[in-house]
Amino acid sequence: MRFLLALLLIVPALAQTTPPTPPQDQPPASAAPAAAAAPAQPAAPAAEAQTATATSAQASADNPAPGAGEDFHGSIDFGYRWLTGVNGSMDEYRSVVNLGQGPKLFGLEFTLRDPKTHLFDEMDVRAYGWGGDPYSTAHADIRKKRTYDFSFDYRNIAYFNAVPSFANPGAPGGFDEQSFDIRRRALSAGLDLFPGGHFIPYLDFDHNAGSGRGIETWVQDSNNEYAVPTLLSDSTENYRGGVHIEYTRFHLTLEEGGTTYKDNDQASDATLLTGDNTEPIFGQTLSLSGLQQAYGIRGHSIYSKVLFTSHLAPWFDVYGQFLYSEPKTDIHFSEIAAGNFLDISTLLFYSSLSTMGTGTDNQPHTTGNLGFEARPFRRLRVIESWMTDRYHDAAAPEIVTALASGTFASASGLLATSLNATGGLTQYVNYNQEQIDALYDVTNRITLHGGWRYVWGDAQTLSGTIGETGPPATGQLKRNSGIGGLTYRALDKLTINLDFEGASSDDIYFRTSLNDYKKGRARARYQVAKALSLQANFQVLNNQNPAQGVNYSFQSRDNALSILWTPDSAKRISLMGEYDRSTVSSNIDYLTLPFLSSAVSEYRDNAHTATTAINLALPRIKDGKLTLGGSMFVSSGSAPSRFYEPLARVSIPVHKHVSWNAEWQYYGFGQSFYLYDGFRTNAFITGLRVTQ
Amino acid sequence: MSRPPSKARFALLGAALVAIAARGAQDKPGAPAPQTAAEQAKPAATKPATYVGSETCQTCHEDIFKAFLKNPHHLVETDKKYGHTTQACEACHGPGSQHADSMNAADIRQPAKLTAAAADRICLSCHLSQPTHVGRINGSHAKNQVSCVGCHAIHKNGPDGLVARKPADINRQCAACHTDIWASFMRPYRHKLPEGAMSCVDCHNPHGSVLPHGLQTVDANEPGCFKCHGDKRGPFSYEHAPVRMEGCTACHQPHGSANPRMLTRAQVGFLCLECHANLSQPALSANGTMGTVPPSFHDMRLPRFQNCTICHQKVHGSYVDRNLLK
Repeated sequence: MRFLLALLLIVPALAQTTPPTPPQDQPPASAAPAAAAAPAQPAAPAAEAQTATATSAQASADNPAPGAGEDFHGSIDFGYRWLTGVNGSMDEYRSVVNLGQGPKLFGLEFTLRDPKTHLFDEMDVRAYGWGGDPYSTAHADIRKKRTYDFSFDYRNIAYFNAVPSFANPGAPGGFDEQSFDIRRRALSAGLDLFPGGHFIPYLDFDHNAGSGRGIETWVQDSNNEYAVPTLLSDSTENYRGGVHIEYTRFHLTLEEGGTTYKDNDQASDATLLTGDNTEPIFGQTLSLSGLQQAYGIRGHSIYSKVLFTSHLAPWFDVYGQFLYSEPKTDIHFSEIAAGNFLDISTLLFYSSLSTMGTGTDNQPHTTGNLGFEARPFRRLRVIESWMTDRYHDAAAPEIVTALASGTFASASGLLATSLNATGGLTQYVNYNQEQIDALYDVTNRITLHGGWRYVWGDAQTLSGTIGETGPPATGQLKRNSGIGGLTYRALDKLTINLDFEGASSDDIYFRTSLNDYKKGRARARYQVAKALSLQANFQVLNNQNPAQGVNYSFQSRDNALSILWTPDSAKRISLMGEYDRSTVSSNIDYLTLPFLSSAVSEYRDNAHTATTAINLALPRIKDGKLTLGGSMFVSSGSAPSRFYEPLARVSIPVHKHVSWNAEWQYYGFGQSFYLYDGFRTNAFITGLRVTQ
Repeated sequence: MSRPPSKARFALLGAALVAIAARGAQDKPGAPAPQTAAEQAKPAATKPATYVGSETCQTCHEDIFKAFLKNPHHLVETDKKYGHTTQACEACHGPGSQHADSMNAADIRQPAKLTAAAADRICLSCHLSQPTHVGRINGSHAKNQVSCVGCHAIHKNGPDGLVARKPADINRQCAACHTDIWASFMRPYRHKLPEGAMSCVDCHNPHGSVLPHGLQTVDANEPGCFKCHGDKRGPFSYEHAPVRMEGCTACHQPHGSANPRMLTRAQVGFLCLECHANLSQPALSANGTMGTVPPSFHDMRLPRFQNCTICHQKVHGSYVDRNLLK
């Protein structure tokens, strides 16, 4: 702390000693503090020249920038995919890859410009993965200068998850609980209008819905649980509108928005299920013979937001935001179950159960933040920010449960009823953060930064305690962090970035929370030659909580090295390669059940990841290209796994605007502890790409 | 380390404010920005540069000029709002008369060769007044000397040009620096970025955010995760504490994991019990952490108790059950 204080005091003093700046050339009339030209600095990393994946490399290479005189240009990529058949776990394959075979529209992209600009100046449309693929997307941007800007985005994502070892890590094949096969559909649309120079009204709409089937459990106290089929259905709509007021020196946004939410999940079963606990209790086998369960959750919220930025002076920027919302949820829940059940507290067996739940949750949410960046001296920037985020949740659910020996239809043999009403109890989470950073340009090549962050808060929730009627769980958060770093542009071609953060906490919420931690990161980029660049990343996080009974020790490291070689502007060959080595080591004390004996939970993850893409120009075939590459992941430790995705792709022009593409990709996945989770398959694609 | 005394905090803030005030006394608002060493080295007698207009620039830089015609920044050339009508090139590069006379690159401002902060100030003279950049001050890119031109090629159009718009292009651009993060997406359980179904900016705002890690916000400043996972948003009658207090990353590795459902542990039981290991509430454990140990009927030796979420399936929050069973 003293060091930071000294730093903040000394750095301005040093900045004072810089020689007075002589007059400069006239700045633009309305421009803000235009920074003057400096001695030659390393050019910004040519990110556009980098290649990260074979897929993206292909996409980039095949999509040249439009020429100035073209009104339409685009491409369509379609074909057929075969799978050789999935060896191993089909459920795991669908959980990880989930590609199917059949005719596909792999990609459609076009840009249309209207030279007369009647309805629009430019329309960009792109769509990928249609024809039954698990990730289908469509996007459109349509704009007309000084009139409007419209964007539309649609995604249809298949979300399948049925990992055998997940449900039951101890038994081959596992239970079949906790699996689902749903589709999530997300739609976003936004319209910005430009009726004048400074006022920009806008309207936005988001829709997100998931629907499908799954398997969940119906839990009968602690005695047994039964896997039951469920229909999943939820949707969220968000509407918002407002106005941006933009001037040269300040910006203001006023926004009003609203959200609606509904959840109609249903579970039902009419077959006789014995559940996961097949051991007789007091000579009787527990069972579920019928279930009807339905959620009818409805939520709505209206929020108001004010947001501003201001360039108050050439040396001072300020920004802030305030938002208030009050989401409410109305709860309707019912279930009727029949079978042979046990009330363990009274040792009574009963044959039917009815539960009705109603209630309301009201959660006022206030958030605000304020900050500024000051440049008191030429080489110094001071950045201060403060924020608060406060959720207060007044929940009032009422759950009525009735147990009966007969059926509820006959209303006979009522054994017990219970009412669990928790109204009046509140939950809250208050989070606050204050941070100050100082950045100092020691020279044009070296920038130092240092800072301090303090976060504090408190929270109370109802869950997390034993039983339905226990007191709420509460917690506190207080943490101080010191921040420091260095950016060094040693040569025109070399940039080095170092960051460090160390913190100590007085209070934390959870045993595994960041407590006394140190985080470091180093990043270096070296442009060896015009065609060759190297990058290295190193990252480490060490977190310790030595409290008695916790003894938490966590350390993660990540080392990454990448190379990009594009000789002769990649006309004949280009190579991209990345290698990453990461390790995680975690130890923490915990209590094993049922005897509450102390033990240590150890988690290890030692992973090697490699990605490569080699693009070769095919000899004697103009514009013909061969791509070889893919990725591999191999890990050891607590979840030793292997995942291979090698690929080969060939593209051969068959006409001025048509090329034939063929691709092979292998997917192989295996886990050493759960051999039955493994799968492997080959996917072949052939298709045409037509460009205009 | 404990919270510093309030006096020290005031001293910190005071030092910053004093420095600001000192600067304010030196520089009147609107005064020109300080010069760099290169400019200081120029002969004092050099005549100040003046504006020559974009047409003059076009004479030599025709390729850039043509591409610029279809660039969103072309508005600067035609819209009086920006104060540089017919001077779009010089809006960023500064007055170009000396450069036009000498044809020497050293005689004109080259934003790509300025320090990151200096280059950013040129862009932000217009772009600070936009909602996208409200969180910029907190952004790690801004604090780590990644300037606007590190990602945006100002003159170019199309793929990888001014703004990368396709998911694959965005991901490639981010992965060019964040190679370690991109490696996480090669793990089997991952968000579908390599497949092009998502992009980095679906979850992160590269310009900055009020949330850690530049996390996008949705609706009422809630974490961007809820844009797609709306059923986890609540509010719930019974919130699961870590969801609200530490967010999704308390249990999940959002970039990719070797563990099913992108969990941070290979087995759910350990993930839960590492927190649920305090003996009683509200008499908290020695270090005040939340999470009580489950009742002893949870016999972890039996398979049916090894995955907690088999029964506690509403682990993100429940509307009707305090134990998150339904």
